[in-house]
Amino acid sequence: MNWRIVWTLVRKDLKLFFRNRFFAFVSVLGLFAYIGIYYLLPGSVEEAIKIGLIADELPPIFDELQEEGLDLVLLDSEAELEQRLLDGDITVGYGLPDDLMAGLLSGSKQQIKVYFSYDFPEELKDAYIILFRELVFMMTGQELNVQAEEVVLGQDMAGAQIPPRRRMLPLMAVFVLMIETMGLSSLISAEVEEGTLTALFTTPMGARELFVGKGAAGAGMAFVQAALLIVATGGLRREPVLILAALLLGALLVTGVGFLMASGSRDLMSVMGWGILAVVVLALPSFSVLFPGLFTGWIKAIPSYYLVDTVHKVINFGAGWREVGANLLALLGLSLAFLGLGVATLQRRYR
Amino acid sequence: MDTNAINAEELTYRYGDLTAVDHISFHVAQGEILGFLGPNGAGKTTTVMMLTGQLRPKEGRATLLGLDVARQSKKIQAQIGICFERTNLYEQMNAKENLELFAQLFGVRSFDASALLARVGLAGRERDRVATYSKGMRQRLMVARALVNRPSILFLDEPTEGLDPVSAEAIRHIILEERQRGATVFLTTHDMLEADRLSDRVAFIDRGKIVALDTPHALKQAYGQRRVMAQVVGADGRLEEREIVLDTPDTPDTVRQLFSQERVVTVHSEEASLEDIFIQITGRGLV
Repeated sequence: MNWRIVWTLVRKDLKLFFRNRFFAFVSVLGLFAYIGIYYLLPGSVEEAIKIGLIADELPPIFDELQEEGLDLVLLDSEAELEQRLLDGDITVGYGLPDDLMAGLLSGSKQQIKVYFSYDFPEELKDAYIILFRELVFMMTGQELNVQAEEVVLGQDMAGAQIPPRRRMLPLMAVFVLMIETMGLSSLISAEVEEGTLTALFTTPMGARELFVGKGAAGAGMAFVQAALLIVATGGLRREPVLILAALLLGALLVTGVGFLMASGSRDLMSVMGWGILAVVVLALPSFSVLFPGLFTGWIKAIPSYYLVDTVHKVINFGAGWREVGANLLALLGLSLAFLGLGVATLQRRYR
Repeated sequence: MDTNAINAEELTYRYGDLTAVDHISFHVAQGEILGFLGPNGAGKTTTVMMLTGQLRPKEGRATLLGLDVARQSKKIQAQIGICFERTNLYEQMNAKENLELFAQLFGVRSFDASALLARVGLAGRERDRVATYSKGMRQRLMVARALVNRPSILFLDEPTEGLDPVSAEAIRHIILEERQRGATVFLTTHDMLEADRLSDRVAFIDRGKIVALDTPHALKQAYGQRRVMAQVVGADGRLEEREIVLDTPDTPDTVRQLFSQERVVTVHSEEASLEDIFIQITGRGLV
C-alpha cells in the first residue's frame, strides 16, 4: 500500500467534493438546517395530563387526583372547552351535569360528556371513560378492593421523558451520513463517466490505493459532518468516545453503501435515485426511536439499526460500552461486509 | 541486453468472439517514433491498451523496457506517459492542479507545472479551470499530463485529431522534442502526413493484423508509384489534370505525347502517400 498515493487521492477528492457546488451547498446547508431544526423542536416533554372540566365546582376526589399528576382545569362553557382542546391546551375534557353528586347518590343514571380532539388516539379514548367511571365509584364510596403496584422494566422515565429533539438526533445523524455518501457515489460515477479513472489506473496507483483513498475521503467527510452535528447539539456530553466510535463505524457502513450505489450508477440522477432508496431504508430504524413500538424485530435486519440504537441509548439513556458493545460489534461486522461488497462490486464493474 | 523499448510477440486480444488484435509481433527501438496507422476498429486502441497494462493480452506477450506488461504493469506505468484519445481531465480543477495531481501520483519530486504548461503553450492559463478550456487547450494539457514523469515511452493516441493547425503543430513539435530527449514514441494517428513527417517507421494495422511495417521511405519504394501530374488547357479552355506514371515502358512515349499534343501549363512530380499505400495493401481507406 502506497500511503502517499492514498493521501494524494483523499486530498483530490476533498477538493473535487467542495467544487461540486450542489453537494457542497447541500452538505453545509443540511448541517445548519439539522442543527436549526434540532433547536426548534421542543426540548422537554409535558408529562402532566391536563383535563378540562365543565362543572360548577370541583367534585370530591378530583382534588386528590391533582397530586397524582393530573392537572384539572375548571371551565365555564362547552365552547371554551372545545377551543382549548383544539389548541392543545388540555388533553381531554369532561362535561359534568350540575347536580352530579346528588344524582349519583339518588341512584339515577348520570349523563356525562367526554371531549377529545379529532386526532386523539382511538385506543386511549376508552381509558379516559373508564377513568371517570372509576372516579365515580370512588366518589360514591364503592372503591374496588384492589391495590395496584407499579412495576417499570428498565429505566423509569417518569419525570425524565426524552424530548422530541433528542429522539430526532439519530435520524438526523443517518441523514447527514447518507448525504455525504451520495456525494462520494457521485464523485466515483463522475470519474468513470469522464474517464479520469482510466487515467488514474495508468499511474503507479493500484486498485487498493484507489479504494482506500475513496473510502477514507467518503468516510472522513461523513464522519466529520455527523460528529459536528452531534457536537453542536450537545450529544457528546455522555461517552464522547463511544459516540464518535459509533459514528465512525456508521460512516464506514454508509461508505460501503456508497460504493454499491456508485457501481450501479452512471450519472448524478442515478446516484440520486439509488441514494433516496438507501436513505429511506437506512432511516427506518430511526423511526422506531421516534415512535417506539412502530416496528417489530425485523428492523434489526437493517444495518443502520445498530448505529441508531447505539446513539439513542448512549445519548438518551446514558448507556455505556457494556450496554452497547454488542451493537458496536454488529456495526463493525456489517460495515466491513458492506465495504467489502462495495469494493468487489465496483471492481467487477469498472476494471 | 534488449535495446528495444517495446517488444510484442504474437500479441492477441479478443472481445468475446471478436478478435480485435490477432497475433501481432513488432518491436520499437529506444528513441524511435513508431506511427501506428489503421482505420477505426482495426485494433489500434486495443493494442495500446495491452501495451500500457489496461488490458491483459489473451495470447502472446509484450515487454516494455524489459518488463512484462501482464505481470509488471504498475512498474511499467511508472515509466510511461499516455495521452488518451478521449480527453479525460479533471474539469473542475485548473491546469496546474491537474498536472500536480499526476506528478504526486508518479512521485515526481520538485515538479514545475508552470514550466511544463509553458512548454505546451498554456502559460498564463494555469489557474483557469479546465472546464473553461477550448478543445485545443485541453489536448495540449493532455500531452503535458503525459509528460509529467519524463516518460521513457510516450503513447499518443490521435494527439492532433480535430485540432486547429497551431495547436496541432505545437503538439508535433513536442513529439519531436521528446524523441530528441531520448523517449520512445508510440504514435497512433489517422493523419498520414503527420505520420509520414514524424515517424521513423510506420505500422499498418488492419482487422487486427499488422499488414506492413517499415520506414515511410521504404514503404513508398516498395508499394508506391512515382508519377507526374500535369495541368493542361482543355478543348473548352478550362484547366484539366493529366497523370503520368513513371518507371513504365510506355512512360517516354506518354511524356512526348503530352508535350507535343497538349498545351501544358504546369508539371510537378508526385510521390505516393502513405494513404495510397495503405489502400493498395488493404484495399480500403483509413477512415
